[in-house]
Amino acid sequence: MNIVVCLKQTFDTEAKITLDAGGKIERKGVSLIMNPYDEFAVEEALRLKEKDGGEVTVISVGESSAQDALRQALAMGADKAILVDPGEAELDEYATATILAKAISGLEYDIILGGFRAIDDGSAQVAGRVAEILNVPVVNVVTKLEVEGGKAVATREIEGGSELVEVALPAVFTAQKGLNEPRYPSMKGIMKAKKKPMQKMTLGDLGLEGQVAAKVKALSYSLPEPRKAGKIIPGEAAEAARELAKLLREEAKVI
Amino acid sequence: MSSNFIYSNRDHKFILKEWLNTEKILNFDAFKDNYEMDDIDMILDEGLKVAKEVVAPTNIDGDKIGAKFEDGKVTTPPSFHKLYQFMQENGYGNSQFDPDEEGKLPTLLHIALEEFFNAANPAFHPYIGLAKGASNLIELFGTEEDKKRFLPKMYSGEWSGTMCLTEPCCGSDVGEITTKAFATEDPRVYKIKGTKCFITAGDHDLTENIIHLLLAKCEGAAPGTKGISLFIVPKIWVNEDGSLGEPNDVTTVAIEHKMGIKGSATAMLSFGDEGTCRGILLGNPPDENGKAEGMAQMFVMMNGARQGTGLTAMAIAQAAYNYALQYAKERVQGKSISNPKGPRVRIIEHEDIRRMLLFQKSIIEASRAMIMKNSYYIDLSRYSNDPEERKMAQRRIEVNNPLIKAYPSDMVWQTTAEAIQVHGGYGFTEEYPVAQCARDSKILSIWEGTNFIQSLDLVGRKWRLDNGKIFAEWFKEVAESIESNKDLEGFAREYEIMSKAVGAYREIQGFIAANFAKNIKIVPLYSTRVLHATAMLWGGSLLLEQAAVALQKIQELGENHFDYPFYQGKVQTARFYIRNIVPEIFKIAEIIKDCDTSAVDILEEGL
Ligand SMILES: Cc1cc2nc3c(=O)[nH]c(=O)nc-3n(C[C@H](O)[C@H](O)[C@H](O)COP(=O)(O)OP(=O)(O)OC[C@H]3O[C@@H](n4cnc5c(N)ncnc54)[C@H](O)[C@@H]3O)c2cc1C
Repeated sequence: MNIVVCLKQTFDTEAKITLDAGGKIERKGVSLIMNPYDEFAVEEALRLKEKDGGEVTVISVGESSAQDALRQALAMGADKAILVDPGEAELDEYATATILAKAISGLEYDIILGGFRAIDDGSAQVAGRVAEILNVPVVNVVTKLEVEGGKAVATREIEGGSELVEVALPAVFTAQKGLNEPRYPSMKGIMKAKKKPMQKMTLGDLGLEGQVAAKVKALSYSLPEPRKAGKIIPGEAAEAARELAKLLREEAKVI
Repeated sequence: MSSNFIYSNRDHKFILKEWLNTEKILNFDAFKDNYEMDDIDMILDEGLKVAKEVVAPTNIDGDKIGAKFEDGKVTTPPSFHKLYQFMQENGYGNSQFDPDEEGKLPTLLHIALEEFFNAANPAFHPYIGLAKGASNLIELFGTEEDKKRFLPKMYSGEWSGTMCLTEPCCGSDVGEITTKAFATEDPRVYKIKGTKCFITAGDHDLTENIIHLLLAKCEGAAPGTKGISLFIVPKIWVNEDGSLGEPNDVTTVAIEHKMGIKGSATAMLSFGDEGTCRGILLGNPPDENGKAEGMAQMFVMMNGARQGTGLTAMAIAQAAYNYALQYAKERVQGKSISNPKGPRVRIIEHEDIRRMLLFQKSIIEASRAMIMKNSYYIDLSRYSNDPEERKMAQRRIEVNNPLIKAYPSDMVWQTTAEAIQVHGGYGFTEEYPVAQCARDSKILSIWEGTNFIQSLDLVGRKWRLDNGKIFAEWFKEVAESIESNKDLEGFAREYEIMSKAVGAYREIQGFIAANFAKNIKIVPLYSTRVLHATAMLWGGSLLLEQAAVALQKIQELGENHFDYPFYQGKVQTARFYIRNIVPEIFKIAEIIKDCDTSAVDILEEGL
């Protein structure tokens, strides 16, 4: 079975986000990680491979630093990696999905996996768009995946419960927390990762040079207002409650 | 509190990629097919992640549950079992001690990972760390059969190891041990009888067998350390084909209740209660004069364990510092002395808090510089193709060893004290993790040869080894390094202090050389202080080298670069150490030359 995993490099969840002089999110000096939801996807791919054999290819669209995220997946056990450098092209979900789909269309695949969303933009669109372009079904927010005889049964989260979906392969699945617990790369895995193939492609290689342009443009970024200091109301409970009610009415104007 | 374990590998990246010549090590045959400079970040990042996410969460269990002794069995906390298995399966365990392991890391990199793991749970690490020395001894002094019999399962982590030296009557005095070995008809197999105490990982439930490396005396052996032999004594006998046999008459009498590293089982073991405990002799039996080989063999293991002790000390100091730094950034108390009408400020803005933080940081980084530099020499001594270089490195290690054992493990008690002090009253409570850091660290100045023993090793042995040439070469290297930074911009005063410290150190050596024959007591009376002076001189010189690298980098990057605070931090740390710590060498020199002997002159009844 051939499995392709789309993954993205994002800011570390612990990173402090600032804006650069041009008003964009400052990338310099921020530690970068593999998008945690994509880690679930990589792990699931590896488990499927360990069960039924096959090959796991990880793919990312991004600048050269994204190699580190791909290397991590290789160290976890993926077999090969593809990094597509978008060059000067502005990326939105549409553009990223177009590039990914084009690159994946040149591969053999039974299953395509990705995180259901990335923790930076949080748009939860790319995998679905890839499926649409490749004209294969997609099952989102999957918490359990079983594959057998050209079919997959996926459990997915829905409002207030879960849903069991059967789908013919090839298909796209997006991983939700709970799908599995991603492994850590072993020392040997780290050492071997370097010897595994890492194919670097440009938009030109994919025949997309000048063909993809973002449809969405971010006009500006702003940081959330810093949280204001809280207020502690001293005194006896009854009195404090009275004071609280007064403040909620007069200052906060919420009651 | 360990769940929010805070640790960074930034200084390690600086050391490995910008300061030491790691590339040279990675180009040795042992590593060149497996590792490149490019891999350093990933190895350090993944190792740190494991330390944070897998190791650190078990630290609290080590402290709160601890090792237990019930119904004759020693148990460790459940989370230690999972962790032990994880470390072994993922290549962070005993497989790294196998010289033939594919992808074995150079010491320089491995030591960095060990630091993270030790910082994350110092009580757990001995269960793995002790197998390093034990397997190494079998590798070096065992027969081919011994190696086949014991090593595969020690390298896989299925069996662990110990070192059994100490007995109730003799700790520092190893030469006086009373454990006996009686010859049997098999010339390599002896009957063992005796009691050992304080044996780390001496009994536990993490592995199916424990391989004790034990010191005992054969009948007719010479008195003192000369007569000691070294034996492999498995907890459960191992048949020649490597399969498990009968229990080997090793009984656990008790485990200690300790102030720290409570998850690490410290056992009192009785060997041969039933008269059926067997041990396999490593090397030759005592010669016709009763002289045996065990002590020299054991030193191989002790040297490694001593480096490990200094490393753990530095790691715990770093963990405690990190907690203190975070706390100082959050705690609001008092006003700025220069703005008394202004708002209340975070305590990190107070001068005295800054002093305490930089005191810790500079000592930790000086210690790390020494330990990493020594690891560099370990790699040279083992893997260099040039025999001269291997020899040179080995000569440096001789001097470095007592320094990197004793200096960090003496200082960690002081630095963790300051970490607690930064926390105020909260630091004294067990709600915050710094108290545990201090408790866990105290053993490090005691085991593996107390720090006094280290200071005697330095002054009594290492100063004089090879007619003093080994120390002279070591000292010359330090002095030359200082000289090479003579014109470092903005560091004129620091250079002046360092070069004066070289002079002061020479005076210390000169004074002791000229006077010890008149009064030998001045050697043990001052050796601890000499060791500290030696370490501060070396540490200062290494931080000066690092400051030179950082200054260069600042010139390249400018002050607006995101990494500027790190490099500015390196520069200020070196400055603080040289201006605030190194001058203690002058004081020590004064005191030694004054040569007061009141500590020995005072009557015992007057004490
Ligand atoms: C938690 C823990 C784990 C341990 N793990 C192990 C282990 O795995 N294997 C093992 O074999 N041992 C182990 N030990 C034992 C440890 O190595 C000894 O405690 C240590 O060597 C000191 O010996 P001692 O306790 O008998 O103290 P002593 O030797 O009695 O020393 C007491 C004090 O006297 C000083 N002193 C001793 N002799 C002299 C001298 N000639 N001149 C001046 N001062 C002197 C010492 O420096 C020390 O300050 C462990 C101990 C502990 C507490």
